[in-house]
Amino acid sequence: MTSERSRTITQSKWFLPASSLVLGAAILVAGLIGRQPVVGVSGLIIMTAFGLFVLLAGSRSETVRGLRGDGRDERFAMIDLRATALSGLTVIIALIVAWLVAIARGQSGSPYDWLCAIGGLAYLIALGLLRWRG
Amino acid sequence: MRNKIRGLRTARNLAQGQLADAMGVSRQTINSIENERYIPSLPLALALARYFGTTVEEIFDDQRA
Repeated sequence: MTSERSRTITQSKWFLPASSLVLGAAILVAGLIGRQPVVGVSGLIIMTAFGLFVLLAGSRSETVRGLRGDGRDERFAMIDLRATALSGLTVIIALIVAWLVAIARGQSGSPYDWLCAIGGLAYLIALGLLRWRG
Repeated sequence: MRNKIRGLRTARNLAQGQLADAMGVSRQTINSIENERYIPSLPLALALARYFGTTVEEIFDDQRA
């Protein structure tokens, strides 16, 4: 698949609602397999509602169109990049704090330790690859 | 960075949305550029300069007043 075609797909207004629906279905299946039907059904309802919201609210909001992908120009792409970096940093900080708290409680620190390791490793690999690409 | 986009646009009786459509960006992006909250990329700056028949240096001024 070319990057042009993948861009066309991800910038369709249907991409995020469809992805939400697929994720909702995955939550439902996981919930049913784990014998937690309430969690599964709740997940499907929440993800379907979110998908419908971004589909319908896009005509009124630039933020929703940008989130969906079809209203994304260079300025919004920059906003998206910064928001992604900020949310990633938030998750990493939360993981480190949770790991420290677990260690202080005399617990093993798992799974925070390997989640922190994955985050750090992914950052280093991305940094190296992006630098190599120029 | 200061710019003359608003003056150039209004001199041609263009709405922000019309300029945005011509540049392939959102109306909010044109608004952000005019209010100096967003510095456009080099391709967009060149496209704006070509659209108004001038140069990037004529439109954008990086000298602090």
